[in-house]
Amino acid sequence: MKEQRLRELLQEAPLPAAEEAERRGRRMVEAAFAARRSPHRRAAPHRLALALAAATLILAVVLSPAGATVRDWIDETLGVGVRDAEPALTEIPGGGRLLVSSPQGAWLVRADGSRRLLGAYEEATWSPRGLFVAAASGHTLSAVAPDGTVRWSLSAPGEVGQPRWSPSGERIAYRSGKTLRVVAGDGSGDGIDHPLLDDRVGAVAPAWVPGGPHLLAYLDAGNEIRVVDADTGEVVGSGDALPGTRALAWAPDRSQLLEVARGSLWIRRIAAGKVALRVDVGPAQRLSVPAAGRFHDAAFSPDGEAVAALRSLPGARGRPPRSELVLLDLNGGSSRVLFRGPGRLSGLAWSPDGERLLISWPDADQWLFIPADGRGRVRAIGGVSAEFSPGAAPGTGWFPRLDGWCCY
Amino acid sequence: MAERETKLVREAQAGSHEALSALYDAHWTKAHRAAYLVVHDGAAAEDIAQDAFLAAVDALDRFDRRRPFGPWLHRIVVNRAIDWSRREALRRGTGDEIEPEAPPPTEQLGADVMAALAQLPAEQRAVVVLRYLLDYTPGETARMLGLPRGTVNSRLRRALDRLGTLLEREVLR
Repeated sequence: MKEQRLRELLQEAPLPAAEEAERRGRRMVEAAFAARRSPHRRAAPHRLALALAAATLILAVVLSPAGATVRDWIDETLGVGVRDAEPALTEIPGGGRLLVSSPQGAWLVRADGSRRLLGAYEEATWSPRGLFVAAASGHTLSAVAPDGTVRWSLSAPGEVGQPRWSPSGERIAYRSGKTLRVVAGDGSGDGIDHPLLDDRVGAVAPAWVPGGPHLLAYLDAGNEIRVVDADTGEVVGSGDALPGTRALAWAPDRSQLLEVARGSLWIRRIAAGKVALRVDVGPAQRLSVPAAGRFHDAAFSPDGEAVAALRSLPGARGRPPRSELVLLDLNGGSSRVLFRGPGRLSGLAWSPDGERLLISWPDADQWLFIPADGRGRVRAIGGVSAEFSPGAAPGTGWFPRLDGWCCY
Repeated sequence: MAERETKLVREAQAGSHEALSALYDAHWTKAHRAAYLVVHDGAAAEDIAQDAFLAAVDALDRFDRRRPFGPWLHRIVVNRAIDWSRREALRRGTGDEIEPEAPPPTEQLGADVMAALAQLPAEQRAVVVLRYLLDYTPGETARMLGLPRGTVNSRLRRALDRLGTLLEREVLR
Protein backbone atom coordinates (compact mmCIF):
# COMPACT_ATOMS: atom_id res chain seq x y z
CA MET A 1 0.00 0.00 0.00
CA LYS A 2 2.80 2.34 0.96
CA GLU A 3 4.62 1.55 -2.23
CA GLN A 4 1.51 2.09 -4.29
CA ARG A 5 1.07 5.50 -2.69
CA LEU A 6 4.64 6.36 -3.51
CA ARG A 7 4.00 5.36 -7.12
CA GLU A 8 1.04 7.69 -7.26
CA LEU A 9 2.92 10.56 -5.70
CA LEU A 10 5.85 10.19 -8.08
CA GLN A 11 3.44 10.19 -11.01
CA GLU A 12 1.69 13.27 -9.69
CA ALA A 13 4.60 15.31 -8.35
CA PRO A 14 4.61 18.68 -10.13
CA LEU A 15 7.21 19.35 -12.81
CA PRO A 16 8.12 22.92 -13.70
CA ALA A 17 7.05 24.02 -17.18
CA ALA A 18 6.42 20.45 -18.27
CA GLU A 19 4.32 21.35 -21.29
CA GLU A 20 6.84 23.82 -22.65
CA ALA A 21 9.63 21.30 -22.15
CA GLU A 22 7.60 18.70 -24.00
CA ARG A 23 7.03 21.08 -26.91
CA ARG A 24 10.68 22.11 -27.10
CA GLY A 25 11.79 18.50 -26.95
CA ARG A 26 9.38 17.51 -29.68
CA ARG A 27 10.63 20.27 -31.97
CA MET A 28 14.23 19.24 -31.46
CA VAL A 29 13.57 15.53 -31.88
CA GLU A 30 11.41 15.91 -34.96
CA ALA A 31 13.91 18.26 -36.55
CA ALA A 32 16.74 15.85 -35.74
CA PHE A 33 14.73 13.05 -37.26
CA ALA A 34 14.13 15.07 -40.40
CA ALA A 35 17.84 15.90 -40.61
CA ARG A 36 18.65 12.21 -40.16
CA ARG A 37 17.06 11.45 -43.49
CA SER A 38 19.21 13.97 -45.29
CA PRO A 39 21.64 12.33 -47.73
CA HIS A 40 24.39 14.42 -46.12
CA ARG A 41 23.67 13.14 -42.66
CA ARG A 42 26.60 10.74 -42.48
CA ALA A 43 29.07 13.51 -43.11
CA ALA A 44 27.37 15.96 -40.78
CA PRO A 45 25.62 14.18 -37.90
CA HIS A 46 24.88 17.42 -36.08
CA ARG A 47 23.42 19.11 -39.07
CA LEU A 48 20.26 20.08 -37.26
CA ALA A 49 22.04 21.97 -34.52
CA LEU A 50 24.34 23.63 -36.97
CA ALA A 51 21.56 24.51 -39.35
CA LEU A 52 19.73 26.07 -36.45
CA ALA A 53 22.92 27.89 -35.59
CA ALA A 54 23.08 29.19 -39.12
CA ALA A 55 19.47 30.35 -38.95
CA THR A 56 20.12 32.05 -35.64
CA LEU A 57 23.21 33.71 -36.95
CA ILE A 58 21.41 35.02 -39.97
CA LEU A 59 18.69 36.31 -37.71
CA ALA A 60 21.34 37.97 -35.61
CA VAL A 61 22.60 39.81 -38.66
CA VAL A 62 19.14 41.17 -39.21
CA LEU A 63 18.11 41.93 -35.67
CA SER A 64 21.19 42.58 -33.64
CA PRO A 65 23.03 45.87 -33.36
CA ALA A 66 26.12 43.72 -33.42
CA GLY A 67 25.04 42.39 -36.80
CA ALA A 68 27.95 43.90 -38.62
CA THR A 69 30.33 42.05 -36.38
CA VAL A 70 28.44 38.84 -36.85
CA ARG A 71 28.44 39.32 -40.60
CA ASP A 72 32.22 39.55 -40.57
CA TRP A 73 32.59 35.97 -39.54
CA ILE A 74 29.32 34.29 -40.45
CA ASP A 75 30.74 32.72 -43.61
CA GLU A 76 33.73 31.48 -41.70
CA THR A 77 31.58 29.94 -39.04
CA LEU A 78 29.22 28.30 -41.47
CA GLY A 79 32.14 27.01 -43.47
CA VAL A 80 33.91 25.54 -40.47
CA GLY A 81 30.98 24.65 -38.29
CA VAL A 82 28.58 23.26 -40.80
CA ARG A 83 30.56 21.93 -43.67
CA ASP A 84 34.08 21.47 -42.45
CA ALA A 85 34.16 20.73 -38.75
CA GLU A 86 37.35 18.82 -38.16
CA PRO A 87 36.53 15.26 -37.15
CA ALA A 88 39.19 15.15 -34.42
CA LEU A 89 41.57 17.44 -32.62
CA THR A 90 44.92 17.14 -34.38
CA GLU A 91 46.40 20.28 -32.88
CA ILE A 92 45.40 22.95 -30.43
CA PRO A 93 45.04 26.16 -32.41
CA GLY A 94 47.55 28.58 -30.94
CA GLY A 95 49.25 25.83 -28.94
CA GLY A 96 49.30 25.14 -25.22
CA ARG A 97 47.73 22.24 -23.39
CA LEU A 98 44.19 21.55 -22.24
CA LEU A 99 42.82 19.90 -19.15
CA VAL A 100 39.55 18.08 -19.67
CA SER A 101 37.33 16.01 -17.39
CA SER A 102 35.04 13.23 -18.54
CA PRO A 103 33.35 10.40 -16.64
CA GLN A 104 36.54 8.37 -17.22
CA GLY A 105 38.64 10.96 -15.42
CA ALA A 106 40.93 13.89 -16.07
CA TRP A 107 42.65 14.15 -19.46
CA LEU A 108 45.61 16.16 -20.60
CA VAL A 109 45.52 17.23 -24.25
CA ARG A 110 48.86 18.21 -25.75
CA ALA A 111 49.45 20.81 -28.44
CA ASP A 112 49.49 18.11 -31.12
CA GLY A 113 46.04 16.94 -30.07
CA SER A 114 47.26 13.74 -28.43
CA ARG A 115 45.68 13.06 -25.09
CA ARG A 116 46.47 11.17 -21.94
CA LEU A 117 44.11 9.99 -19.24
CA LEU A 118 45.76 11.20 -16.05
CA GLY A 119 43.58 9.08 -13.79
CA ALA A 120 40.10 8.65 -12.42
CA TYR A 121 39.76 12.21 -11.16
CA GLU A 122 36.57 14.19 -11.11
CA GLU A 123 38.12 17.64 -11.43
CA ALA A 124 41.54 19.04 -12.16
CA THR A 125 43.35 22.36 -12.36
CA TRP A 126 46.70 23.47 -13.68
CA SER A 127 49.59 24.65 -11.59
CA PRO A 128 50.58 28.17 -12.73
CA ARG A 129 53.24 27.03 -15.18
CA GLY A 130 51.56 23.78 -16.13
CA LEU A 131 54.19 21.59 -14.50
CA PHE A 132 51.60 19.77 -12.40
CA VAL A 133 47.91 19.25 -12.08
CA ALA A 134 45.93 19.33 -8.83
CA ALA A 135 43.26 16.68 -9.13
CA ALA A 136 40.31 15.75 -6.95
CA SER A 137 38.75 12.35 -6.52
CA GLY A 138 36.39 11.48 -3.70
CA HIS A 139 38.04 12.57 -0.47
CA THR A 140 41.49 12.80 -2.04
CA LEU A 141 43.45 15.72 -3.44
CA SER A 142 46.49 14.78 -5.52
CA ALA A 143 49.29 16.59 -7.30
CA VAL A 144 49.88 14.81 -10.58
CA ALA A 145 52.64 15.23 -13.15
CA PRO A 146 51.62 15.56 -16.80
CA ASP A 147 52.65 11.93 -17.38
CA GLY A 148 50.10 10.84 -14.79
CA THR A 149 52.57 10.18 -11.96
CA VAL A 150 51.07 11.06 -8.60
CA ARG A 151 53.54 13.23 -6.69
CA TRP A 152 51.57 13.41 -3.51
CA SER A 153 48.06 12.89 -2.19
CA LEU A 154 46.17 13.89 0.89
CA SER A 155 42.92 12.69 2.36
CA ALA A 156 40.32 15.24 3.37
CA PRO A 157 37.37 14.85 5.68
CA GLY A 158 34.81 15.66 2.97
CA GLU A 159 34.46 15.29 -0.79
CA VAL A 160 37.22 17.30 -2.45
CA GLY A 161 36.38 19.73 -5.21
CA GLN A 162 37.27 23.01 -6.88
CA PRO A 163 41.04 22.78 -6.40
CA ARG A 164 42.74 26.05 -7.33
CA TRP A 165 46.51 26.43 -7.49
CA SER A 166 47.83 29.82 -6.34
CA PRO A 167 49.68 31.98 -8.88
CA SER A 168 52.89 31.50 -6.89
CA GLY A 169 52.55 27.73 -7.13
CA GLU A 170 53.06 27.50 -3.38
CA ARG A 171 49.46 26.93 -2.26
CA ILE A 172 46.44 24.96 -3.37
CA ALA A 173 42.99 25.93 -2.13
CA TYR A 174 40.25 23.34 -2.28
CA ARG A 175 36.83 22.52 -0.95
CA SER A 176 36.34 19.59 1.33
CA GLY A 177 32.62 19.08 1.79
CA LYS A 178 31.34 22.47 2.84
CA THR A 179 34.70 23.69 4.09
CA LEU A 180 37.45 25.64 2.36
CA ARG A 181 40.99 24.45 3.01
CA VAL A 182 44.51 25.19 1.83
CA VAL A 183 47.64 23.08 1.48
CA ALA A 184 51.17 23.90 0.39
CA GLY A 185 52.03 23.11 -3.20
CA ASP A 186 54.29 20.28 -2.06
CA GLY A 187 51.47 18.70 -0.08
CA SER A 188 52.80 19.83 3.28
CA GLY A 189 51.42 22.31 5.74
CA ASP A 190 54.60 24.39 5.71
CA GLY A 191 53.98 28.09 6.21
CA ILE A 192 50.26 27.66 6.78
CA ASP A 193 48.85 28.52 10.20
CA HIS A 194 45.28 27.43 9.55
CA PRO A 195 44.67 24.86 6.82
CA LEU A 196 40.95 25.23 7.45
CA LEU A 197 40.11 28.65 6.02
CA ASP A 198 36.35 28.51 6.53
CA ASP A 199 34.09 25.79 7.88
CA ARG A 200 31.11 26.63 5.70
CA VAL A 201 31.38 28.22 2.30
CA GLY A 202 29.13 28.81 -0.69
CA ALA A 203 29.16 26.80 -3.90
CA VAL A 204 31.28 29.28 -5.86
CA ALA A 205 34.86 28.27 -6.62
CA PRO A 206 37.50 30.32 -4.78
CA ALA A 207 39.73 32.66 -6.76
CA TRP A 208 43.35 33.51 -5.90
CA VAL A 209 44.38 37.15 -5.99
CA PRO A 210 47.09 37.42 -8.68
CA GLY A 211 50.62 38.14 -7.48
CA GLY A 212 51.77 39.16 -4.03
CA PRO A 213 50.87 37.31 -0.83
CA HIS A 214 48.61 34.30 -0.78
CA LEU A 215 45.24 36.02 -0.79
CA LEU A 216 42.16 34.08 -1.72
CA ALA A 217 38.66 35.38 -2.49
CA TYR A 218 35.67 33.18 -1.83
CA LEU A 219 31.98 33.30 -1.02
CA ASP A 220 31.03 32.25 2.46
CA ALA A 221 27.77 30.54 3.39
CA GLY A 222 26.21 33.92 4.15
CA ASN A 223 26.82 35.12 0.57
CA GLU A 224 29.61 37.45 1.63
CA ILE A 225 32.74 37.86 -0.46
CA ARG A 226 35.74 37.34 1.75
CA VAL A 227 39.39 37.83 0.98
CA VAL A 228 41.51 35.73 3.28
CA ASP A 229 45.25 35.53 3.83
CA ALA A 230 45.72 31.82 3.21
CA ASP A 231 48.92 31.71 5.25
CA THR A 232 47.46 33.13 8.46
CA GLY A 233 43.74 32.50 8.02
CA GLU A 234 43.05 36.20 8.63
CA VAL A 235 40.21 37.78 6.70
CA VAL A 236 41.66 40.94 5.14
CA GLY A 237 38.65 42.15 3.18
CA SER A 238 34.96 41.48 2.71
CA GLY A 239 31.77 42.73 1.10
CA ASP A 240 28.26 41.51 0.39
CA ALA A 241 28.01 39.48 -2.79
CA LEU A 242 25.18 39.99 -5.24
CA PRO A 243 22.31 37.51 -5.16
CA GLY A 244 22.90 34.53 -7.39
CA THR A 245 26.65 35.01 -7.75
CA ARG A 246 28.04 31.93 -9.43
CA ALA A 247 31.65 32.75 -10.21
CA LEU A 248 34.47 35.08 -9.16
CA ALA A 249 37.46 36.12 -11.25
CA TRP A 250 40.32 38.55 -10.70
CA ALA A 251 41.78 40.95 -13.22
CA PRO A 252 45.43 40.06 -13.84
CA ASP A 253 46.54 43.31 -12.20
CA ARG A 254 44.32 42.51 -9.17
CA SER A 255 42.62 45.87 -9.38
CA GLN A 256 39.20 44.44 -10.21
CA LEU A 257 37.08 41.53 -9.10
CA LEU A 258 34.51 40.17 -11.52
CA GLU A 259 31.28 38.74 -10.14
CA VAL A 260 29.21 36.58 -12.44
CA ALA A 261 25.63 36.82 -11.26
CA ARG A 262 22.75 35.04 -12.88
CA GLY A 263 21.53 37.80 -15.13
CA SER A 264 24.43 40.23 -15.14
CA LEU A 265 28.15 40.81 -14.76
CA TRP A 266 29.56 43.09 -12.08
CA ILE A 267 32.95 44.61 -11.47
CA ARG A 268 34.31 45.73 -8.12
CA ARG A 269 37.25 48.02 -7.78
CA ILE A 270 39.74 46.62 -5.31
CA ALA A 271 42.10 48.77 -3.30
CA ALA A 272 44.91 47.28 -1.25
CA GLY A 273 46.24 48.95 1.89
CA LYS A 274 49.78 50.28 1.59
CA VAL A 275 50.77 49.69 5.20
CA ALA A 276 48.67 46.89 6.63
CA LEU A 277 47.59 43.86 4.62
CA ARG A 278 44.09 45.06 3.96
CA VAL A 279 41.87 44.78 0.90
CA ASP A 280 38.91 47.06 0.30
CA VAL A 281 36.21 45.40 -1.71
CA GLY A 282 34.45 48.25 -3.46
CA PRO A 283 30.82 48.58 -4.54
CA ALA A 284 29.70 46.54 -7.51
CA GLN A 285 29.22 48.22 -10.88
CA ARG A 286 27.18 46.48 -13.51
CA LEU A 287 28.75 45.84 -16.88
CA SER A 288 26.45 46.88 -19.65
CA VAL A 289 25.41 44.00 -21.89
CA PRO A 290 22.43 44.30 -24.26
CA ALA A 291 19.43 41.97 -23.93
CA ALA A 292 18.51 39.76 -21.03
CA GLY A 293 20.14 36.40 -20.53
CA ARG A 294 21.55 34.11 -17.91
CA PHE A 295 25.31 34.17 -17.47
CA HIS A 296 27.10 30.94 -16.80
CA ASP A 297 30.75 31.83 -16.90
CA ALA A 298 33.08 34.72 -17.56
CA ALA A 299 36.81 35.32 -17.56
CA PHE A 300 39.20 38.22 -17.92
CA SER A 301 41.46 38.20 -20.94
CA PRO A 302 45.11 37.61 -20.03
CA ASP A 303 45.83 41.33 -20.54
CA GLY A 304 42.86 42.29 -18.37
CA GLU A 305 41.36 44.60 -20.96
CA ALA A 306 38.34 42.49 -21.85
CA VAL A 307 35.95 40.01 -20.32
CA ALA A 308 34.58 37.05 -22.24
CA ALA A 309 31.26 35.69 -21.02
CA LEU A 310 28.91 32.86 -21.86
CA ARG A 311 25.23 33.32 -21.43
CA SER A 312 22.02 31.60 -22.44
CA LEU A 313 19.08 33.43 -23.96
CA PRO A 314 15.49 32.26 -23.79
CA GLY A 315 13.68 31.01 -26.86
CA ALA A 316 11.30 33.45 -28.51
CA ARG A 317 9.07 33.71 -31.53
CA GLY A 318 9.57 30.08 -32.46
CA ARG A 319 13.32 30.15 -31.99
CA PRO A 320 14.86 27.64 -29.62
CA PRO A 321 16.78 28.81 -26.55
CA ARG A 322 20.28 29.78 -27.56
CA SER A 323 23.57 30.79 -26.09
CA GLU A 324 26.24 33.24 -26.99
CA LEU A 325 29.82 34.16 -26.34
CA VAL A 326 30.08 37.88 -25.63
CA LEU A 327 33.24 39.94 -25.46
CA LEU A 328 33.14 43.10 -23.35
CA ASP A 329 35.77 45.74 -23.85
CA LEU A 330 36.49 47.16 -20.38
CA ASN A 331 38.13 50.27 -21.77
CA GLY A 332 35.60 51.32 -24.38
CA GLY A 333 32.62 49.77 -22.65
CA SER A 334 31.37 48.14 -25.85
CA SER A 335 30.31 44.55 -26.22
CA ARG A 336 29.98 42.26 -29.17
CA VAL A 337 28.80 38.75 -29.83
CA LEU A 338 31.59 36.46 -30.98
CA PHE A 339 29.41 33.41 -31.37
CA ARG A 340 25.76 32.54 -31.02
CA GLY A 341 24.07 29.18 -31.42
CA PRO A 342 21.11 27.10 -30.30
CA GLY A 343 21.35 25.11 -27.11
CA ARG A 344 24.02 25.57 -24.50
CA LEU A 345 27.58 26.79 -24.63
CA SER A 346 29.91 26.04 -21.77
CA GLY A 347 33.53 25.69 -20.77
CA LEU A 348 35.00 29.06 -21.55
CA ALA A 349 38.81 29.33 -21.65
CA TRP A 350 41.22 31.94 -22.98
CA SER A 351 44.32 30.80 -24.81
CA PRO A 352 47.45 31.71 -22.83
CA ASP A 353 48.31 34.43 -25.35
CA GLY A 354 44.80 35.88 -25.24
CA GLU A 355 44.30 35.58 -28.98
CA ARG A 356 41.66 32.84 -28.93
CA LEU A 357 38.79 31.58 -26.89
CA LEU A 358 37.80 27.96 -26.58
CA ILE A 359 34.19 27.17 -25.83
CA SER A 360 32.29 23.92 -25.67
CA TRP A 361 29.12 23.41 -27.65
CA PRO A 362 27.72 20.14 -26.29
CA ASP A 363 24.62 20.24 -28.47
CA ALA A 364 26.79 20.14 -31.56
CA ASP A 365 29.35 17.84 -29.91
CA GLN A 366 31.96 20.42 -30.83
CA TRP A 367 34.70 22.55 -29.43
CA LEU A 368 35.03 25.96 -31.04
CA PHE A 369 38.30 27.87 -31.19
CA ILE A 370 37.27 31.46 -31.80
CA PRO A 371 39.59 34.38 -32.57
CA ALA A 372 39.15 36.93 -29.80
CA ASP A 373 39.29 39.81 -32.27
CA GLY A 374 36.27 38.41 -34.12
CA ARG A 375 38.20 38.02 -37.35
CA GLY A 376 39.72 34.98 -38.98
CA ARG A 377 38.62 31.41 -39.00
CA VAL A 378 36.58 29.82 -36.29
CA ARG A 379 37.88 26.30 -35.98
CA ALA A 380 35.35 23.68 -34.96
CA ILE A 381 36.33 20.26 -33.73
CA GLY A 382 33.60 17.64 -33.95
CA GLY A 383 33.06 14.32 -32.23
CA VAL A 384 34.43 15.61 -28.95
CA SER A 385 32.39 13.36 -26.65
CA ALA A 386 33.57 10.19 -28.37
CA GLU A 387 37.20 11.31 -28.02
CA PHE A 388 36.85 11.36 -24.25
CA SER A 389 34.41 8.47 -23.82
CA PRO A 390 36.36 5.43 -25.00
CA GLY A 391 34.18 2.35 -25.09
CA ALA A 392 30.92 4.27 -24.95
CA ALA A 393 28.24 3.28 -27.44
CA PRO A 394 27.91 5.74 -30.32
CA GLY A 395 25.81 8.70 -29.36
CA THR A 396 25.95 7.98 -25.64
CA GLY A 397 29.28 9.56 -24.69
CA TRP A 398 29.17 12.41 -22.21
CA PHE A 399 30.49 15.73 -23.40
CA PRO A 400 33.64 16.49 -21.41
CA ARG A 401 34.14 19.52 -19.19
CA LEU A 402 36.94 21.91 -20.02
CA ASP A 403 39.06 22.51 -16.91
CA GLY A 404 41.77 24.76 -18.27
CA TRP A 405 44.05 25.90 -21.10
CA CYS A 406 47.59 26.41 -20.06
CA CYS A 407 51.05 27.31 -21.00
CA TYR A 408 53.34 26.95 -23.97
CA MET B 1 2.48 -3.15 -26.10
CA ALA B 2 5.94 -4.53 -26.85
CA GLU B 3 4.81 -5.59 -30.32
CA ARG B 4 3.40 -2.16 -30.98
CA GLU B 5 6.63 -0.55 -29.90
CA THR B 6 8.69 -2.85 -32.08
CA LYS B 7 6.44 -1.92 -34.97
CA LEU B 8 6.90 1.78 -34.23
CA VAL B 9 10.68 1.43 -34.11
CA ARG B 10 10.64 -0.46 -37.40
CA GLU B 11 8.50 2.20 -39.00
CA ALA B 12 10.64 4.99 -37.60
CA GLN B 13 13.73 3.28 -38.98
CA ALA B 14 11.96 3.30 -42.33
CA GLY B 15 11.47 7.04 -41.99
CA SER B 16 7.97 7.40 -40.58
CA HIS B 17 7.53 10.70 -38.78
CA GLU B 18 4.27 9.44 -37.33
CA ALA B 19 6.02 6.47 -35.76
CA LEU B 20 8.70 8.68 -34.29
CA SER B 21 6.04 10.99 -32.95
CA ALA B 22 4.23 8.05 -31.38
CA LEU B 23 7.44 6.89 -29.70
CA TYR B 24 7.98 10.39 -28.41
CA ASP B 25 4.41 10.55 -27.09
CA ALA B 26 4.83 7.20 -25.39
CA HIS B 27 8.09 7.98 -23.65
CA TRP B 28 8.76 11.71 -23.28
CA THR B 29 6.68 12.34 -20.18
CA LYS B 30 8.17 9.51 -18.18
CA ALA B 31 11.69 10.19 -19.39
CA HIS B 32 11.40 13.86 -18.46
CA ARG B 33 9.77 13.06 -15.13
CA ALA B 34 12.39 10.44 -14.33
CA ALA B 35 15.20 12.89 -15.07
CA TYR B 36 13.56 15.58 -12.98
CA LEU B 37 12.97 13.30 -10.01
CA VAL B 38 16.66 12.44 -9.99
CA VAL B 39 18.18 15.88 -10.68
CA HIS B 40 15.49 18.23 -9.27
CA ASP B 41 16.48 20.87 -11.80
CA GLY B 42 14.03 21.77 -14.53
CA ALA B 43 16.56 22.86 -17.14
CA ALA B 44 18.86 19.92 -16.54
CA ALA B 45 15.98 17.44 -16.64
CA GLU B 46 14.81 18.85 -19.94
CA ASP B 47 18.32 18.68 -21.35
CA ILE B 48 18.81 15.11 -20.18
CA ALA B 49 15.51 13.90 -21.61
CA GLN B 50 16.14 15.77 -24.84
CA ASP B 51 19.69 14.40 -25.12
CA ALA B 52 18.40 10.89 -24.61
CA PHE B 53 15.87 11.25 -27.40
CA LEU B 54 18.43 12.81 -29.71
CA ALA B 55 20.76 9.91 -28.95
CA ALA B 56 17.90 7.59 -29.80
CA VAL B 57 17.33 9.32 -33.12
CA ASP B 58 21.05 9.20 -33.81
CA ALA B 59 21.22 5.48 -33.06
CA LEU B 60 17.92 4.57 -34.66
CA ASP B 61 19.45 2.85 -37.69
CA ARG B 62 21.57 0.65 -35.48
CA PHE B 63 18.89 -0.11 -32.94
CA ASP B 64 18.22 -3.81 -32.37
CA ARG B 65 14.46 -4.18 -32.72
CA ARG B 66 14.47 -7.30 -30.55
CA ARG B 67 15.29 -5.06 -27.60
CA PRO B 68 12.58 -2.95 -26.00
CA PHE B 69 12.94 0.75 -26.71
CA GLY B 70 11.76 2.07 -23.35
CA PRO B 71 14.37 0.46 -21.10
CA TRP B 72 17.10 1.50 -23.48
CA LEU B 73 15.95 5.10 -23.34
CA HIS B 74 15.39 5.02 -19.59
CA ARG B 75 18.85 3.66 -18.97
CA ILE B 76 20.37 6.62 -20.80
CA VAL B 77 18.14 9.06 -18.94
CA VAL B 78 18.78 7.73 -15.47
CA ASN B 79 22.50 7.21 -15.87
CA ARG B 80 22.91 10.72 -17.25
CA ALA B 81 20.80 12.09 -14.44
CA ILE B 82 23.00 10.34 -11.89
CA ASP B 83 26.13 11.71 -13.58
CA TRP B 84 24.67 15.21 -13.59
CA SER B 85 23.70 14.98 -9.92
CA ARG B 86 27.14 13.80 -8.92
CA ARG B 87 28.82 16.61 -10.77
CA GLU B 88 26.40 19.15 -9.41
CA ALA B 89 26.89 17.88 -5.87
CA LEU B 90 30.61 18.22 -6.29
CA ARG B 91 30.26 21.66 -7.77
CA ARG B 92 28.08 22.78 -4.91
CA GLY B 93 30.24 20.95 -2.39
CA THR B 94 27.18 19.97 -0.47
CA GLY B 95 27.31 16.21 -0.68
CA ASP B 96 24.25 14.87 -2.41
CA GLU B 97 21.71 17.19 -0.92
CA ILE B 98 20.04 19.40 -3.46
CA GLU B 99 17.60 22.22 -3.26
CA PRO B 100 14.47 21.37 -5.21
CA GLU B 101 12.99 24.08 -7.36
CA ALA B 102 9.93 25.72 -5.92
CA PRO B 103 6.87 23.68 -6.90
CA PRO B 104 3.52 25.18 -7.80
CA PRO B 105 1.93 26.20 -4.47
CA THR B 106 -1.21 24.10 -4.84
CA GLU B 107 0.62 20.81 -5.14
CA GLN B 108 1.67 20.53 -1.54
CA LEU B 109 1.66 16.76 -1.21
CA GLY B 110 3.71 16.27 -4.35
CA ALA B 111 5.98 19.05 -3.17
CA ASP B 112 6.53 17.21 0.10
CA VAL B 113 7.57 14.13 -1.80
CA MET B 114 9.89 16.16 -3.99
CA ALA B 115 11.48 17.76 -0.97
CA ALA B 116 11.91 14.40 0.73
CA LEU B 117 13.32 12.83 -2.42
CA ALA B 118 15.82 15.66 -2.67
CA GLN B 119 17.25 14.62 0.65
CA LEU B 120 18.33 11.26 -0.75
CA PRO B 121 21.63 10.61 -2.51
CA ALA B 122 21.33 10.56 -6.31
CA GLU B 123 21.95 6.82 -6.43
CA GLN B 124 18.97 6.19 -4.13
CA ARG B 125 16.78 8.61 -6.03
CA ALA B 126 17.61 6.74 -9.22
CA VAL B 127 16.56 3.32 -7.91
CA VAL B 128 13.35 4.80 -6.47
CA VAL B 129 12.55 6.34 -9.83
CA LEU B 130 13.32 3.17 -11.75
CA ARG B 131 11.28 1.04 -9.36
CA TYR B 132 8.28 3.21 -8.55
CA LEU B 133 7.96 5.57 -11.49
CA LEU B 134 9.15 3.37 -14.34
CA ASP B 135 8.11 0.05 -12.77
CA TYR B 136 11.28 -1.92 -13.29
CA THR B 137 12.00 -4.88 -11.07
CA PRO B 138 15.10 -4.73 -8.87
CA GLY B 139 16.75 -7.20 -11.26
CA GLU B 140 16.04 -5.00 -14.26
CA THR B 141 17.15 -1.93 -12.34
CA ALA B 142 20.40 -3.67 -11.42
CA ARG B 143 21.11 -4.45 -15.06
CA MET B 144 20.31 -0.91 -16.16
CA LEU B 145 22.62 0.64 -13.60
CA GLY B 146 25.32 -2.02 -13.80
CA LEU B 147 24.92 -2.89 -10.12
CA PRO B 148 24.51 -6.10 -8.13
CA ARG B 149 20.89 -6.82 -7.37
CA GLY B 150 21.60 -6.80 -3.65
CA THR B 151 22.90 -3.25 -3.94
CA VAL B 152 19.71 -2.16 -5.66
CA ASN B 153 17.60 -3.82 -2.96
CA SER B 154 19.55 -2.21 -0.16
CA ARG B 155 19.39 1.21 -1.80
CA LEU B 156 15.65 0.82 -2.22
CA ARG B 157 15.24 -0.19 1.40
CA ARG B 158 17.29 2.71 2.68
CA ALA B 159 15.49 5.11 0.39
CA LEU B 160 12.07 3.96 1.52
CA ASP B 161 13.07 4.10 5.17
CA ARG B 162 14.38 7.61 4.73
CA LEU B 163 11.36 8.77 2.77
CA GLY B 164 9.09 7.27 5.41
CA THR B 165 10.91 9.19 8.10
CA LEU B 166 10.95 12.44 6.18
CA LEU B 167 7.31 12.25 5.28
CA GLU B 168 6.39 11.13 8.80
CA ARG B 169 4.67 8.12 7.31
CA GLU B 170 1.22 9.59 6.99
CA VAL B 171 1.92 10.82 3.49
CA LEU B 172 2.71 7.31 2.38
CA ARG B 173 -0.30 5.64 3.98
